[in-house]
Amino acid sequence: MKTFDYTIKDELGIHARPAGLLVKEAKKFASECTITKDGKSKKLTQLMMLMSLGVKQGDTVTISAEGADEDTAIEALKDFFEKNL
Amino acid sequence: MKDKIFSVLQRVGRSFMLPIAILPVAGLLLGIGSSFTNATTIETYGLTAILGEGTLLHNLLVIMNKVGSAVFDNLPLIFAIGVAIGMAKKEKEVSALSAVIAYFVMNTAINAMLTVTGQILDNGEIADTVLEGTIASVCGIQSLQMGVFGGIIVGLGVAALHNRFYRIQLPNALSFFGGTRFVPIISTIVYMFVGILMFFVWPVVQNGIYALGGLVTGSGYVGTLIFGLIKRALIPFGLHHVFYMPFWQTAVGGTMEVAGQMVQGGQNIFFAQLADSANIAHFSADATRYFSGEFIFMIFGLPGAALAMYHCAKPEKKKAAGGLLLSAALACMATGITEPLEFSFLFVAPALFVVQVVLAGSAYMLAHIMNVAVGLTFSGGFLDFFLFGILQGNEKTSWMRVIPAGIIYFLLYYFIFKFMIRKFNFKTPGREDDDTETKLYTKADVNARRESAGAAGAACADPVSEAITRGLGGKKNISDVDCCATRLRCTVKNAELVNDSVLKATGASGVVHKGNSVQVIYGPNVTVIKSNLEDYLETAPDTLEEPAQTPGDVREEKKTEETQRKVVSTITISSPITGTAADLSTAPDEAFAQKMMGDGVVVTPEDAVVRAPEDGEVAFVFDTKHAIGFVTDSGISLLIHVGIDTVKLNGEGFEALVESGQTVKKGDPMLKLDLDYLKKYAPSVTSPVLCTELEDNQRIRLLKEGPVKAGEALFEVEILQ
Repeated sequence: MKTFDYTIKDELGIHARPAGLLVKEAKKFASECTITKDGKSKKLTQLMMLMSLGVKQGDTVTISAEGADEDTAIEALKDFFEKNL
Repeated sequence: MKDKIFSVLQRVGRSFMLPIAILPVAGLLLGIGSSFTNATTIETYGLTAILGEGTLLHNLLVIMNKVGSAVFDNLPLIFAIGVAIGMAKKEKEVSALSAVIAYFVMNTAINAMLTVTGQILDNGEIADTVLEGTIASVCGIQSLQMGVFGGIIVGLGVAALHNRFYRIQLPNALSFFGGTRFVPIISTIVYMFVGILMFFVWPVVQNGIYALGGLVTGSGYVGTLIFGLIKRALIPFGLHHVFYMPFWQTAVGGTMEVAGQMVQGGQNIFFAQLADSANIAHFSADATRYFSGEFIFMIFGLPGAALAMYHCAKPEKKKAAGGLLLSAALACMATGITEPLEFSFLFVAPALFVVQVVLAGSAYMLAHIMNVAVGLTFSGGFLDFFLFGILQGNEKTSWMRVIPAGIIYFLLYYFIFKFMIRKFNFKTPGREDDDTETKLYTKADVNARRESAGAAGAACADPVSEAITRGLGGKKNISDVDCCATRLRCTVKNAELVNDSVLKATGASGVVHKGNSVQVIYGPNVTVIKSNLEDYLETAPDTLEEPAQTPGDVREEKKTEETQRKVVSTITISSPITGTAADLSTAPDEAFAQKMMGDGVVVTPEDAVVRAPEDGEVAFVFDTKHAIGFVTDSGISLLIHVGIDTVKLNGEGFEALVESGQTVKKGDPMLKLDLDYLKKYAPSVTSPVLCTELEDNQRIRLLKEGPVKAGEALFEVEILQ
C-alpha cells in the first residue's frame, strides 16, 4: 500500500466539481484508492462518499492506493491533488 | 417446465377461440327464438296474432330456437374439431377430419363397453343401477356424459397425434397410407383404446369433478367470489378460457335436472332452463353465478374506469385518449370484450388491475347474492343482457337489480381509478410523458427501411408485418403464430431476440412474455394483423436485410443497440423542487453538462423549498449547504446541487432543514433557498439533480421536460439486462 498526506489549499475544499474529477482519476486504476480524514476512510471511486467527508480548505487528508498499479496510481493522485486542490 | 406448461395452456386457450366464436350467434338465435316463442311473453305483450302458435313467424322462431340449441347440444363435438384445428401445426383440415372420426370412435367404444358390462341393456335402455345423468346421448350414441371435456380430450389428443405423424413415411407397399392419410387411421385405433380407458377412468374423474363442483357450490357465495377473482386475474395470461370453461360447460359448475334431463355446467343449465322457460319460475342463480356478475362491471364498472382515465388525461391529449377509451368502453359495454379497456391500464399501472380484479370478482358474488340470473353466451355485454335478462323478464332473471348495483360499481370504479391515477401518477392513456423516443426512432426506422427497400427495387408492401417480424426476432425465430380475440400469440425459438419497443411501435398496447411464448396485444383487429403477418411470413426472406447503412445512420445504429438492450426494471425519481426541467446537457456548466459527476437532469427552481425526491436518507449536507447527497430507499445515490458555483456563497442564501444521516419521506423539506439572493450572486440557479453511482447496466431517461412540480416523476433509472 502506498500513501501520502495532503493539506487542501483550494479555498472551496473538495466540492462537487473537483470531487467528480477526482473520482474519474481514481477509477482509472485497478488499485483500491481511499481518502481518510479525521479517521474516516472512504473509497475515492464513490462520489457520494467522497463528498460526504466535506473536506475543506486546510484539512489534511491521507490518500492511499493498494493494488497492482499502486505506484502509478499514487503518483497520479498526488499530481492531481497538487494541481487541483 | 413451468414455461412449457404455460406455452401449452396458452395454445389450448387460443384453440378454444374458434368454437367459442360460434356461441354469440347460437346464443342470439336461441335467445330470440326462445324469447318470442315463450307463451307468457307473447300473451303479456299481446302478440298472439302475429307470434301465436301456427303463425309463420312463430314457426321461424321455433326453427331459430332449435338451431341455436343444436350448437349448444353439440358443443363437445364442436370443441373436439375446433381444438384439433387450433392445436394442429399444419394441414389443419386433416386433423379436423381425424377429430370427428376419433370423437365417434371414442364414444362408440364407450357405448360398447357399457353394453358389454350391462349398464346399457340390449333394448338400448339404461340399467336402473346406473347413476342418473352419467350416461347421456352423444350425437345419438348412448355414452358416458363427458361434456366439453370429452371434446377437448379428443381435440388435444388428435392434434398431438397429427403433429407427430402427419409427415410419416411408410414402407413402399403401404405408402398410400402414409403422410396425412395416416392421421385418421392412427386416431381411430388410438381412440378405440381411449374409449375403453375412459370407460374405467371417467367415472372416477366424474366423481372428482362432482366433488370439486360441490366444493365451489358448497362454499356458496365465497366460492363465487373465488371463482370471480381467479377468472379476472387470469385475463392477462390469456388462460381464463381454460379456467372458466369447465364451470360453464361441465359438471364442475354444478348439475341440475331440467325438463327431465340432467344438465351439467352453469351455462348449459341456463340455456336448458331457457329452452324450457315456460316451466321455470326463476332461472337458477346458482347456475348463472359464473357469469351474471359480469354485466355489473362490464356494462357499468369498466366504463366508469374509462371515464376516470379520460378525465385524468392531460388536456392536450384528451382528444386522442378519449377516442381510444370511448371505443374500448363501447366494445366492453356492447359485447363484453374487456381486453381493450383492461389492457389500457394493465401494463402501465398493475395496481389498477388489482383493483379491477377485486371489484370484478366481488361483482360475481354480489350478483349471486342478489339472485340475479341473467345468462350469457360469450361475455357480459349489453346484447346478452338484453336477450337473456330484459327479454326474459324481471320475474325470471331479476335483471333490474343489476342496474342499481351497476351504478354503484360505476361510481366505485370511477372514483377509485381517478384517485389512484392522480395519487400515484399512473401513466394511463393520455398521461404518458412526452417520451416517444423509441417510437419516433422506430417510425423513422420504418420510413428509412421503406426508402432503402424502394431504392433496392424491392418495395416492401407490408411494413407493419415486417416490423412485427423484426420485433419477434426475425422470421427464423418465429415458430408459431396465432391469435385470440385481442392478442397475437406467438411462440418464438429464442425469447431474448424479442424486442418489445419495436412491437409496441407497430400499434401494440402491450407485450406479455412467458418463456418462449409471446403475446402481443393489439385489440379486436388482431385477426387482420395475424393474417397479414402469416402472408408476409410465407414470402419473407429468412433473414431481414438490415437497412442500408450510410454514415448518417451511425447515430441511429447506436440507438438501435441501446434500445435493443432490454430494460429489466426501472426506478422513478421525482423532482425535488418545483421549476423547469431540462436535459443535463443544457446545464450552464461544462463539468455538469459533460456528465462528469454523473447523469441526470437539471431543474431551474421557481420555488424556495428543496424537498426529498423519494423516501430515503440524507447522505450528507455539504458544509456550504448548496448540495445534498441523497440515497433513495430504492438504492439510487443522488446529488442535488442547487445552482452553479454556489459553493462560493459559503452557505449564504441557503438554510438546511435536515442533517447528514437523517431519514426522510418523499416531499419532506430539506433546504430553504433565498432565490432572490441566489439569482443575484450565483452565475445560475439551474440545479443539476444527478445519479452519481450509475452502473454500466443503468441509464437515465428523462420523464419530464418543462414545468415540473416537486414530487412529480422527473426521470427514470432504467436497469438493463
